[in-house]
Amino acid sequence: MINIWRLTKVQLLSSFGLNKALHTRDGKERRKLLLLSISILIGVVMMAVASFGYSFMMARTFEQIGRMDLLLAIMMAVTSIIGFFTTIYKASGVLFGFKDYDLVMSLPIKTSHVVASRVLQLYVLNLFFALMVMLPAGVVYAIKVNPGALYFPFFLITFLFIPLLPIIAATIIGALISWISSRFKASRMISLILTFVVIIGVMIGSFRINGNEQVLADMSTQLADMIFKLYPLAAMYVDAVCSYEIGSLLLFIAISVLAFMLFTTVLGTRYKAIHTGLTTSHASSKYIMKPLETSSPFRALYKKELRRYISSSLYVLNTSIGMIFLLVMSISLLFISSEKLGQLIEIPQLSDYLSKLAPLFVSLFVTLSCTTSSSISLEGNNLWILKSSPVSKQNILLSKVAVNLTITMPISIISCVMLMISLRTGWIESLLLLVIPLIYACYSAMMGVIVNLKLPNLVWTSEVTVIKQSASVIVSMLIGFISLVIPLGISLILSHVNGNLILLGIGIMIMAVCSVMYRYIQTKGEQLFQAL
Amino acid sequence: MLTIKHFTKSYKGGKKAVNDLNLVVEKGDIYGFIGHNGAGKTTTIRAVVGVLDFEEGDIEIDGISIKKDPVACKAVTAYIPDNPDIYDHLTGIQYLNFIGDLFSVSKADRESLIKKYGDDFQITANLGDMISSYSHGMKQKLAIISALIHKPKLLVLDEPFVGLDPKAAHMLKTIMVDLCSNGSAIFFSTHVLDVAEKLCNKIAIIKAGKLMTHGKTEDVKGDNSLEDVFLELIDND
Repeated sequence: MINIWRLTKVQLLSSFGLNKALHTRDGKERRKLLLLSISILIGVVMMAVASFGYSFMMARTFEQIGRMDLLLAIMMAVTSIIGFFTTIYKASGVLFGFKDYDLVMSLPIKTSHVVASRVLQLYVLNLFFALMVMLPAGVVYAIKVNPGALYFPFFLITFLFIPLLPIIAATIIGALISWISSRFKASRMISLILTFVVIIGVMIGSFRINGNEQVLADMSTQLADMIFKLYPLAAMYVDAVCSYEIGSLLLFIAISVLAFMLFTTVLGTRYKAIHTGLTTSHASSKYIMKPLETSSPFRALYKKELRRYISSSLYVLNTSIGMIFLLVMSISLLFISSEKLGQLIEIPQLSDYLSKLAPLFVSLFVTLSCTTSSSISLEGNNLWILKSSPVSKQNILLSKVAVNLTITMPISIISCVMLMISLRTGWIESLLLLVIPLIYACYSAMMGVIVNLKLPNLVWTSEVTVIKQSASVIVSMLIGFISLVIPLGISLILSHVNGNLILLGIGIMIMAVCSVMYRYIQTKGEQLFQAL
Repeated sequence: MLTIKHFTKSYKGGKKAVNDLNLVVEKGDIYGFIGHNGAGKTTTIRAVVGVLDFEEGDIEIDGISIKKDPVACKAVTAYIPDNPDIYDHLTGIQYLNFIGDLFSVSKADRESLIKKYGDDFQITANLGDMISSYSHGMKQKLAIISALIHKPKLLVLDEPFVGLDPKAAHMLKTIMVDLCSNGSAIFFSTHVLDVAEKLCNKIAIIKAGKLMTHGKTEDVKGDNSLEDVFLELIDND
């Protein structure tokens, strides 16, 4: 068992630049990491405060109907569902995509323990999210209900087990996808397609369940029934924490732990076979020289970058899921009204928001699809090739921007045209709807490059460390989010002013920032890249 | 072809990896760069090829400062690192074509040179396979071919013979001699002293970041073997 912890610790130390922060003696580097920690802490506190506010508002409603237990049930279900969703597409990468596979597997450690350490890595990361949702909800519950002393130890104990089962469920799907893909020649592409199919399937499935029940809007006992039906463990959890039932507590823990042990043992038996299937490249060794196609250096860099992007299912899934959501939603709006869709996805005022703030709404998905924030880190040991090549650094960096725009721009344009039709926007609104997301696409792509230049992580053993857990990706997401929240706040505060004028102002401002960033990439970007 | 003037590289914390190094590699030279592990060979080589930034001194390639015009310097230089990590997501031919594009090699030249060196290193049949399926030696061969297809004036190699099979190592030595007889220059590090002694017309020995001795191979080794000279220099402070 100690080996599971040792392996997990080593993996976690490489996340978020943690080990570097602990051991660096460089003052500048320390200051940078301190600043980064503070900004992440601010982000976490902001989310926790928002979560507390949300729980508090919900608690008022549940207080009226005398069902405060629903607060914990809903929050537990939300934590589990989000944990499940965010784990499906990274499970395969965490389980099988690490460079030190040979080293780890040659150690005198059971394969099931290696699997357990990979699952625990996912668990620890999900625990942070669970903490931000469950802790505020638990505090609100305690304030409102004033429960007995048993509530606190029961709440804390069960909290540790909440993320486990959703992660295992998602990891089973991830491992199954990997197992099926490993049997094909184009295993990576198959894995990518299968994951997309599963995610879209679950998305559509969850819409359907909500649609049939049609109960989320009216707060009644039906709501509790639905949550408990969808996720029976929520009922067990509520019985344990709110009613102090020791049997439920033990059952909840036992199910989670047994599922974990069973999964790691079973996967342990097929682990090597799946890994071999996924990593073995097909080699025909029958190449005969053919005429070669020449390209300009920029085009060559762009093609190389695009191939790099497509070669990693984790990279594609992580950075294009937002665009897929946008596309699915835009297509849905063609067939169902925005009012109906708002009901289905639990945002009743969606129709109003969409018609007013559609450009910012689309931009949110665009900024979520930032490929550049990890593109330099992903060069890793290959960086010497670009650094020793006779091409300007500007071309290298802009080729990465161009790939990001290739991912975001076409889907953004297609989605916006569909939104124009479904929302019946006027010509000025249509123009803004088309242009604002494109400006944000440029903004997000260039910002990602700059942040990655400032916070590179070129030494990694698993792509997950770079794509999901690097400081650069987190900071880029935070900046992207703030860059949308501020304009959104301005639009809502100045609701009496012409919305188009505000959007135009926002567009001009972001364009100005883009031109400053472009200049920065040309000058300082060159130096920062050289210093890598 | 290559002039290193007062090159000094300090790492964070103030420790000098290389201290005031001066060296001249002329056209036609096969210049061996020898030293123990951590002596500063790779640091110097990485600075020469423009991969590593440095503060003190200057490095000129074909009369151009790497600090002032790095792109022009790199256009005439080829570099093969000690452990060639090449893009796993490309096929061998895609990688060579990519390098051809970056160095603006003409279509005719790149096709004929890839064919020639691919056949020489017996790797042409594998060029359609993903690099991820290559062995270490095959990656090394691919890196060598990518360095040769743009006909560099200066070829810089870091431990080039590690991982190569005997036939490929022999082929590389032949190519190095051919390249220099056509007016190019080669600067390479090695731990294989026999090879350095036979192949190089000039040798430099570095210890703890400082150049201990340099010059024509026969002048450096005198009547002794290169191994004796090297061990004596390394053992004595």
